[in-house]
Amino acid sequence: METIKSDTLQESLFYEEMDNGLKVYLLPKPGFSKTYGLFSTRFGSVDTTFVPLNETEMIKVPDGIAHFLEHKMFEMKDGDASDKFAALGANTNAFTSSSRTAYLFNTTSHEIECIELLLDFVQDIYLTDGTVEKEKGIINQEIGMYDDDPDWRCYFGSIQNLYQKHPIKIDIAGTVETVSEINKDILEKCYHTFYHPSNMMLFVVGNIDVEETMKAIRDNQAMKEFHKESTIQRLIVEEPADIDKKNEILKMDVIMPKVIVSMKVNDILEDREQRLKRELSMNLLLDLLFAKSSSLYEEWMNEGLINSTFSANFTQERDYSFLQIGGDTFAPEQLRDKIIDLIQKMKDYKIDELDFKRVKKKNIGILIEVFNSPEGIANLFSRYYFEGHIIFDLINTLSKLTPQDIEDLKPLFQEKLTSTFIVTSK
Amino acid sequence: METIYQMKGYTLHLIPTKKFKTMTISLRLQSPLTRETTTMRTLLTFVLIAATRKLPSTKTLAMYLDDNYGARLSSNIGTKGKSQIINVNTSFINEVYLPQKDSLLMNQIQLISDLFYDPLIENDAFNEKIVKQKKKELKERLQVNKDDKFSYSLDKLFEYMGHDDVLGISSTGYEDDIEAITAKDLYQYLLKCIREDEKHLYVVGDVDESIVNIFQKYLQFPENQNDYPSSYIFHSDRKDIVEMIEKQDITQSKLNIGYQIQCDFMSPQHYAMTVFNAIFGGFSQSRLFKVVREENSLCYYVSSSYDAFNGIMIVNAGIDFKDYDKALQLIDEQLKDIQSGHLEDSEIEITKGLLENALKKTNDDAGSMIALSYNRDITHKKETNDEYIQKILNVSKEEIIQVSQQIQLDTIFFLTGKDFNGNN
Repeated sequence: METIKSDTLQESLFYEEMDNGLKVYLLPKPGFSKTYGLFSTRFGSVDTTFVPLNETEMIKVPDGIAHFLEHKMFEMKDGDASDKFAALGANTNAFTSSSRTAYLFNTTSHEIECIELLLDFVQDIYLTDGTVEKEKGIINQEIGMYDDDPDWRCYFGSIQNLYQKHPIKIDIAGTVETVSEINKDILEKCYHTFYHPSNMMLFVVGNIDVEETMKAIRDNQAMKEFHKESTIQRLIVEEPADIDKKNEILKMDVIMPKVIVSMKVNDILEDREQRLKRELSMNLLLDLLFAKSSSLYEEWMNEGLINSTFSANFTQERDYSFLQIGGDTFAPEQLRDKIIDLIQKMKDYKIDELDFKRVKKKNIGILIEVFNSPEGIANLFSRYYFEGHIIFDLINTLSKLTPQDIEDLKPLFQEKLTSTFIVTSK
Repeated sequence: METIYQMKGYTLHLIPTKKFKTMTISLRLQSPLTRETTTMRTLLTFVLIAATRKLPSTKTLAMYLDDNYGARLSSNIGTKGKSQIINVNTSFINEVYLPQKDSLLMNQIQLISDLFYDPLIENDAFNEKIVKQKKKELKERLQVNKDDKFSYSLDKLFEYMGHDDVLGISSTGYEDDIEAITAKDLYQYLLKCIREDEKHLYVVGDVDESIVNIFQKYLQFPENQNDYPSSYIFHSDRKDIVEMIEKQDITQSKLNIGYQIQCDFMSPQHYAMTVFNAIFGGFSQSRLFKVVREENSLCYYVSSSYDAFNGIMIVNAGIDFKDYDKALQLIDEQLKDIQSGHLEDSEIEITKGLLENALKKTNDDAGSMIALSYNRDITHKKETNDEYIQKILNVSKEEIIQVSQQIQLDTIFFLTGKDFNGNN
């Protein structure tokens, strides 16, 4: 077992790789009542074309399959995993994103049994044709709920606009049509390919004894047999540099219009540390430009163009990366013009040393604050883990950033890579 | 453990703990919820934290907070039954974790004091520009709430169910009342809150008793003896069930049902009602989730909730419009089933375990610790978390069945698509 310490955060992390390739990280939180376990696989909605385990040809699976599989994993031969957690006094849940699927529990008692149950239900699959069919009604209602959500439509639409081929443009839950194509056979193929221990990571944080917990996990894994570890071959999509759609307007039954200007970043970095540096510096730059403490925020607020829903976000995962800037506004076109104008002028942007120091302090504070909450820690950990980082790296890298790191981002801002998505009333 | 100090004009609650990286201060101001003041009070929560004389704009205030390592300052409005509560909240990093030992605690106490005693005032009125901006923001907030079909349909349920009652008053104000409020009215209203609201202040974090002297020095309010009512049992004299259907251009229909329950936070049956609600629809092990979602595939979400301060229970579900009658029937069947005494010992035991887990978890979150404590403080209920858990565990099967028999359907609100053709 390895120990990784952070002096700043006064936290310790314990790591071990199991014989079957599963990576396990434990973070004890003395004084907390709660224990939170998160078991994640590197399988998300973008993984739709790959070579299944023990096969040789690429196959294309229906959109939304990772999410569908997440729903069905809770079914076990002898009952439902949620009921078993409930019998231990624990809650369980799961979520699917573009790049990963994660299963979780939280509890204030029976911690070891909960961890074993989490491993056991995810490391076995039990499906019947009947239960797969039945799930389709539930998932279609979930799709319908997102269809009516203007924030989600605007957020996701602004990503779809940027990509011509990349599967990041696929709806996480798929569509009613693609969901109807899903069957037991394809689900099992996905399961066996992506749920191998070597493609997964278990993180447990909270009221735990490290030695005892790690031993329980070790013993649990030693009892199980898996296929030999093999590298998963995913289709690498050649995404053209240009964006897919410049403008899109969606009319919905809403009062308040919203706009998001998105911008594609084509320069995808390979180096792990460079990537982290870029992400953290981009967060600082977006704060400098758009946070409440910025001049633009004040100006646009005074002009009535924005309200407190206005925000700017940077996403960088696997081989895709983009910016999203926008919010609720009654003047979506005007706000769009302002944002695009700013992007065009980014090459002339001057960084103020004092402003830089201030937003850096703010970001350090926000990162420390995450360590208040077991859920917060687990989610941040899992998100960065699959990008190759351990969360303690974040605060170290952030502390070392300089104005030059922000300067380096300026060439990424290109008007021709921007797109606009507007949701407006009918 | 929590210690309580009677300060000038407010009650100070100290909850010392070293397990958080941050310190949290929450000041809660209570006043009766009325149709006349709800919009004013909501607007005040926006204007109150927008600026002070020393930090005279959103920008300068935000810069100040950033400089204090991203200290947070927020405010929100909510209700506790007959009362409307303003919550001013700040949290900031414990200096132990910072490279420079800045005195963030002192800074934030001073800031809270300034919000009330050194606001940005011109000629006995709040700054006009800020008030104008915040009126626009509130208006837009109310509009966007309507675009969220889940919260819109829930608000409509309360509106129809609570027609002439406090339940029917919007806790976040009315669009049509915003315009008439002047910067002067609003400042006068702040002064009234300072004089008349019932106030509790909570501090959670790495603090000791010495902080009491600091609060004594920096934060005082005029003393008042007000003790406003909060928890009550909703009651309606209407004979018939109200069923309202509204059509919009949407994919998923939202079903909302309100029940009278003859029980509230202060009732002896409160604990049995809490267990009943959890069995009926409070968790994903509950009856409604099992039957409506898992067995019949009618929805993605369905749940019940017990609003202990209004003394009601509600059920909501997102369904296809064609399943309206079926969903209503399934929900009603489950209620009748428990009312007629069909209840497994195992489901009671499992539910109690989940409630215990949910309650113990609140100790890991400063906001939840404060929220639980506040419920008891404004109702003068003397009870510790352990006592509460014990009372939940002691609830018997008979008590659950008994409390379920008090439940009566009152109002249905169904927000549905254009294709819905009424009940068939």
